Amino acid sequence: MAPRASRQILERTTLGNGLRVVVAPDHASPLVGVAVVYDVGFRSEPPGRTGFAHLFEHLMFQGSAHVAKMEHARLVEGAGGVFNGSTRSDLTTYYEALPAGALDLALWLEADRMGAPAVTEENLANQIAVVEEEIKVNVLNQPYGGFPWISLPELAFDTYPNAHNGYGDFTHLERATVADAVAFHARYYAPSNATLAVAGDCDPDDVVALAERYFGSIASGRAPVAGPWSEPAPREERRRVIDDPLAPQPAFALGYRTPDPVGDLSHHLAYVAAASVLGDGDASRLRARLMHHDHSVTDLGCSIGVFGGDSLMMRDPALFQVVVYHPDDVSTDELTTTIHEEIARLGTDGCRPDELDRVTAAFAGGFWQGVDSVNERAIMLASLETIHGRAGLLDELPDLLGAITPAAVAAAAADLASQHTARVEIHPTPDGGAS
Amino acid sequence: MRTRPGTLEPRPAVRAVRRVAMPRLLDETLTSGLHLVAVRRPSVPMVEVRLCVPLGAGLVRHAAGPLVLTGAVTAGTAHHDRAGLADAFERLGGALDAALDDDVVSLHAFGLATALPTLLDLMNEVLTSATYPAEEVRAERDRTADEVIMDLSRPESQASEAFRVRLYGHHPYATPTPRPDALRRVGAASLRAMHARIFNPRGAHLIVVGDVATARVARLVEERLGPWLASASVGVAPLAPLPPVVPGGIELHDRPGALQSNVLVGGAAPRRTDPQWPATALANLVVGGMFTSRLVENLRERHGYTYSPHSDVHHARPGSTVIVAAEVGSAVTAASLVEIRYELGRAASLGVSDEELEGARRYAIGSYLIRTSTQRGLAATLAAYVTSDTPASLVFEHPSRIARATLDDVNTAAREHLGPGSLATVIVGDASLVEPTLRALDQVTTPSP
Repeated sequence: MAPRASRQILERTTLGNGLRVVVAPDHASPLVGVAVVYDVGFRSEPPGRTGFAHLFEHLMFQGSAHVAKMEHARLVEGAGGVFNGSTRSDLTTYYEALPAGALDLALWLEADRMGAPAVTEENLANQIAVVEEEIKVNVLNQPYGGFPWISLPELAFDTYPNAHNGYGDFTHLERATVADAVAFHARYYAPSNATLAVAGDCDPDDVVALAERYFGSIASGRAPVAGPWSEPAPREERRRVIDDPLAPQPAFALGYRTPDPVGDLSHHLAYVAAASVLGDGDASRLRARLMHHDHSVTDLGCSIGVFGGDSLMMRDPALFQVVVYHPDDVSTDELTTTIHEEIARLGTDGCRPDELDRVTAAFAGGFWQGVDSVNERAIMLASLETIHGRAGLLDELPDLLGAITPAAVAAAAADLASQHTARVEIHPTPDGGAS
Repeated sequence: MRTRPGTLEPRPAVRAVRRVAMPRLLDETLTSGLHLVAVRRPSVPMVEVRLCVPLGAGLVRHAAGPLVLTGAVTAGTAHHDRAGLADAFERLGGALDAALDDDVVSLHAFGLATALPTLLDLMNEVLTSATYPAEEVRAERDRTADEVIMDLSRPESQASEAFRVRLYGHHPYATPTPRPDALRRVGAASLRAMHARIFNPRGAHLIVVGDVATARVARLVEERLGPWLASASVGVAPLAPLPPVVPGGIELHDRPGALQSNVLVGGAAPRRTDPQWPATALANLVVGGMFTSRLVENLRERHGYTYSPHSDVHHARPGSTVIVAAEVGSAVTAASLVEIRYELGRAASLGVSDEELEGARRYAIGSYLIRTSTQRGLAATLAAYVTSDTPASLVFEHPSRIARATLDDVNTAAREHLGPGSLATVIVGDASLVEPTLRALDQVTTPSP
């Protein structure tokens, strides 16, 4: 029942200044998705400046050479569009989805801020305050805030790029200066360090001509080399306990290493399939056993990456994670032992071919749902072009995953079972949670 | 700062967009009483199926059963256990899940368009033969209780629950989230009885959007859901309309140690069927419904008090509600309320500018196109309309209704629905930090928990 992968038209080119351009025309609706992805994320930010990549993303919305503060938003929304940005381990993404007639405007806006964002003392102070409120909403004033995306890498890795908190320390954020922003922009926001993708109701030749017109005059700069961030796997089990007065019940996350998602993609995809066989959906082994047979956990999921399932949008190392929420009368050690048993069993006994068929079909369905949105499609194309050097990988992924064999999944599980794991535990404090 | 010049080209104009033909809408009530809404959208080779069932007032007030039911309905059927059912859907490139939102229980399935007959067969199997195994129900109610405890520990959940009680008084909609002890009392037998009562084809809405012709959808629904459709009984009575909002004052709920306060300000809004709705939607966008709104510009971009202030209109069967919400630093809680009321009062008394209105209008139409451009987005939008007793056809009339609202209409709507004089205020935060200053602004009540 697995569907064929799509074979959409894909135009790829590189401008003289190094900006990579990807166009995927599709006329299903009169909309375009525009994504500009920069090859910079948490892992590139300087020591003493944790959270700077994300803070800088906010500054990119504060105006540019020909765009006043708030005008970016006003022009996009006033053209009937929506926009946002996001910062991840290796990528900073900006996107707009708009009626097709606003394509030129979106490209012009992106070009102006790629050329010259307007960072002032006032905007910087304002956005530091906004980012601090964002961190309070999502981390400090929230049960399980930052779990596991901040706390697990801190334990599982030793080197600064992989281990530090990408939202940043308030002391570091407050130390940020306009000069830092100038240097960061000069180093990481050059056209040669970026990819532009346009998906939807457009003509590839027009898009390339427009990209040349608006971005072509931006000086190339020299693209910095991202990474390598690889570091040796831990040689011992690691444990960390975090007391969370807001959390109503215990939780823990286990972290394991995986093969390089870029250099060893097919090997890495065997781990993606293993994550799905083990802990994605109610048919998966760990959920069927621990949630629905033993009734010993409230929720459980397996995925790879920092934000769960984003490992193809990042470079090595990417963590395979098992995230578990459970009642406080169930022992964390016993759950961990059971999880290790199931992983080891997958390693020794392998999986049935029909288990893989399920994983492949579900992945293909998820793929189609993702590409149904013009901005999702543009973001995925630009991200894959940036990290893997080929946007066309998007269309190949369902087939590549479909080609993974039971033996490859078993080998992946055997490797996971042999590893020293990092385990972050969230302990509710006695007065925490709701009554 | 300038590291490089910006672009050298002048800012381009926005071109008009080609008109797209309105899709053909299938909108009919079958003899069983099922309301079927279908649209063919061939953008990807998938299909979305949403079955939405409105609950009667009794179940809205006692939602522990329906809440556990949404977790247990997929726990097993005559032919599949839970894992087998999940497996069957995933093999079709999809999934099935159930949810309770306000007063609507929904079953949401998706998968490859070519698999629609099998998807419907599986849904029929769940609808006619869900078994609610006793042991699964026990586990599910405990898990639901744990999830509710988790949900209630979130400040935004505490705030929205307090706000519902503040706004809706004795209406079923004021009912708090079911508590863990009530959830742990739900039994398998009661769920089996409730299943038939809830999943009654009469009064239910089935929305199908995907790469399937609507005539084929209608035929397949009658054919594949036939056994379930034959089970129709008497439909549920409508809910009473929401009571009028009693405006004024500040209701403060203490959350000791909170780093931020959740500020909620809101009141009644016109329903989507109301001729005043498009103008109200536009007034709301200008005040706080988009990024370039007055509230974002003021609270976030000028003052840095909050990450994401916003104003939304929530539509439900018994009425619609406008809600302004912001999570603000404790030290600036009172200052934020001053700014929120200022912006609401300014819009209500002075209206909005022509330029603001035209920006909001283009945003309303464009973001509507974006929201409904995916199969999932269109199906969700159609479901939101029909479950709040709004004709599905109004989904497609939305752009033209928005296009017709005048500046006068919008300013009247702002005055009648967004003025602080007609709205209620609830704040959840650390009372020891925020109460003294709030008392300087308005009368503060602190309900006992």
